[in-house]
Amino acid sequence: MTTSVSPPETVPAQERTAGHRMPFWVNQRLGLLVLVIALSMLFGVLRPAFLDQRLVLFPLLRDVATLTVVALAQMVALSVGHMNLAVGRMAAFGAMFAGIGYDRLHLPMQAGLLLCLAAGAAIGAVTGWLIARTGVSSFVVTLAMDFALLGLVSLMYSGLTEDAAFTTRPAGIDALRSYSLADICVGPLCGSPAVPQLAQFTVFAMLGLGFLYGCTRIGRELLLTGAIPAAAELSGIPTGRRVLLAHTLSGLLAALAGFMAAAGTGTFRASIGDDFMLPSFLGAVLGGTLLTGGVVSVLGTLLGTALVGVIRKGLDLLGVGLESLNIYLGCILLLALSADRIRTVVSYRKVVRST
Amino acid sequence: MNSVLLECRDLVKVFPGVRALDGVGLRLTAGSVHALLGENGAGKSTLIKVLTGVHAPDGGTLAWEGEPVQLRSPLEATRTGIGVVHQERNLIPGFSVAENITLQKPPSRRGLVDYAAMTEPAAGCLTELGVDLAPDRPVRELSVAQQQLVEIAKALYTESRVLLLDEPTASLSPEETERLFEVIRRLAERGACVVFVSHKLEEVFAVCDTVTVLRDGKSVLESSPLADHSHDDIVSLMVGRAHAATELHPRPVDRSAAPALELDGVATAGGHRDISLAVRPGEIVGLYGLVGAGRSELVKAVLGLGRITAGEVRVHGRTARISSPRQALHEFGIGYVTENRKEEGVFLEQPIVRNITVTVWRRLARAFGFVPARKERETAQGLVERLGIRIAGLAQNAGELSGGNQQKVSLAKWLAADTRLLVIDEPTVGVDVRTKRAFHELIWELAHDGLPILLISSDLAEMVTLADRIVVMTDHRVRGEVDNDRDYDRMSGRIIRLIHDRDAVRS
Repeated sequence: MTTSVSPPETVPAQERTAGHRMPFWVNQRLGLLVLVIALSMLFGVLRPAFLDQRLVLFPLLRDVATLTVVALAQMVALSVGHMNLAVGRMAAFGAMFAGIGYDRLHLPMQAGLLLCLAAGAAIGAVTGWLIARTGVSSFVVTLAMDFALLGLVSLMYSGLTEDAAFTTRPAGIDALRSYSLADICVGPLCGSPAVPQLAQFTVFAMLGLGFLYGCTRIGRELLLTGAIPAAAELSGIPTGRRVLLAHTLSGLLAALAGFMAAAGTGTFRASIGDDFMLPSFLGAVLGGTLLTGGVVSVLGTLLGTALVGVIRKGLDLLGVGLESLNIYLGCILLLALSADRIRTVVSYRKVVRST
Repeated sequence: MNSVLLECRDLVKVFPGVRALDGVGLRLTAGSVHALLGENGAGKSTLIKVLTGVHAPDGGTLAWEGEPVQLRSPLEATRTGIGVVHQERNLIPGFSVAENITLQKPPSRRGLVDYAAMTEPAAGCLTELGVDLAPDRPVRELSVAQQQLVEIAKALYTESRVLLLDEPTASLSPEETERLFEVIRRLAERGACVVFVSHKLEEVFAVCDTVTVLRDGKSVLESSPLADHSHDDIVSLMVGRAHAATELHPRPVDRSAAPALELDGVATAGGHRDISLAVRPGEIVGLYGLVGAGRSELVKAVLGLGRITAGEVRVHGRTARISSPRQALHEFGIGYVTENRKEEGVFLEQPIVRNITVTVWRRLARAFGFVPARKERETAQGLVERLGIRIAGLAQNAGELSGGNQQKVSLAKWLAADTRLLVIDEPTVGVDVRTKRAFHELIWELAHDGLPILLISSDLAEMVTLADRIVVMTDHRVRGEVDNDRDYDRMSGRIIRLIHDRDAVRS
């Protein structure tokens, strides 16, 4: 005897396959990619200087590389339905440890980076532990953490340094700042001078998270924890541990971004990460990550961040002043998000009509 | 008298991949109680949403007292005179009864809400319904049944002449249901039309006088006097063909087998005292009681979501101190199909495949926690076929399925994990006749294959159909146990007596 119960009414084959498939152009990632390329071309036509590999694209991509990691840090917190308002300060906290390592302990670059990541992961873990343990919302806990770290980091810098920055630079960090793929040659073949070597960290982070969320048990469990915590718990997912993990990862990525920002500017100072928080949400949400948890997109986060970067740089080159630049940026972002909504509605109607 | 309030013809509503309404006609006359029947997915919810202005129809006409109307928003529907009480409660827990009743049109003075002027009309509505409730009580203190009456009062306050009640009795006790029926009859006498949506045909025949039956988005019976139809007529109209009531084949239970689950004098922090029961392999033990008796809470405490303060829990002969559902699943093989499908059972915004395989990722995972997508799909596909779940594709979000199919998904994850003890909580609330029967057969077969099952249900008929023994619980205590001989009248008599003896003891 088997436990199979025959379906009371078999479903016709075409009903099974008819499905709810949306046309390919509804795909948010594709839309973003098209938008990024189109805008780059538009700016390139209006100001040919925009396409200058060394002077424009290189610094642009270096910023995008750093901000993508920041947005990924936010994305990981969003994946469990939480947020991390302290991304910027965690970045500063991590970078500070790298700075101390180089300045006081004279560590090699890689060791300083590891120290930085460990500090970020630790502060993330503390945050996650507080949230999982107390049940206080992540909004409140990370906001409090943001203030606490702001104070702590400023105090440490003013106590340990004279001009509020660690200036000792380990060997290799200058290369990270200014070297591009053009400095890596295989025989006569060299890479593009537009792509900074700093981007290697972004690529690592993206590959790691892509594997985590796309292929592994833990990644799926993070997403389900974000979708409905109560249901996840009842399905046998240790939701407390997943929340802890998400915040630990978020702290680690924030610290990585802090290191990248410091490497990019050349000094380790308290102001690192000051302007990280808003872009972190922008990049993640534009890329298709849900604020309510349960859905993330690693590639989308890169594209979302790239979109914001291109718009900023392009308008800057067009001579739009900083104040009005922000107005344009706001409008374009609104448009980008509405365009996505419009796409969804139009394709929905199309599918409905064909039914 | 008997004027037509609302009439619709040839209503069509299309969603991606499905014609939810495909030619529905409905005529609602003043002073009647109208039954709206149909299986899950037949289009009842969609019809209600069209009539209350949530969805715009893609075709067909609507007329209010003979005049064509368009209901572009819920507000317009309310203004027209159509009120609705949804299956889910829509009250604001922190507000008082009066504030909730007058919520849509609060009395105001100089742009500010006039709290003093709120009590009187609210109390008026409650009196009209024959309900004795203080208007200043916060809604959070009310029972489910009382909250429902507040929602009806809310509809009365906005002068609704057509009142749609969607599964109003799903979580009411028999007495509460009877009181609701009195309210419904009173409303009809006042010249309103009450539309009663329910899966319980006994109730429909008790309170309704006209009936519309939907099947596959079409009205197969349109505003017909209920007296012209028999119970079986209606069922065959809903299902589409005559259905003889299937008898479940006999299933021997070995009463001498060692119990798979044993509670021995268990007390919990939630207020349970001295609970003892046992479930043997291949046995279905019913845990019967009214809503609020503490049955689900007991199970959750056993699963580690509540604290057990005394007594012992033994699973498969082993003393079990379970601290989380995760431990319950992986160490003891316990699965729990929750009654609360939408909040605890199914991830509505996630693909079906994830919903089913969540319990087995650990088993499927290779190095670095890598879960092969192919294995995952195979596991899910196997269960979809085994349970006859109707889906468009495994990547579809579970929220797009009908209620019955969602419930099957919620069960599927435990079958995927090969659980050795299954707790099933209210499996067929709000599920149509055919799905209900399929579910009963499925639970029966699982027990036949030796799975021990603890079945929680407030549906006495379901208990008598399925359970081998019925443990009766009220007020967080076990009141007694009945050996089920599948004679509904005798069983219900004994169970009701067990419940009422408690009242005798208390008073």
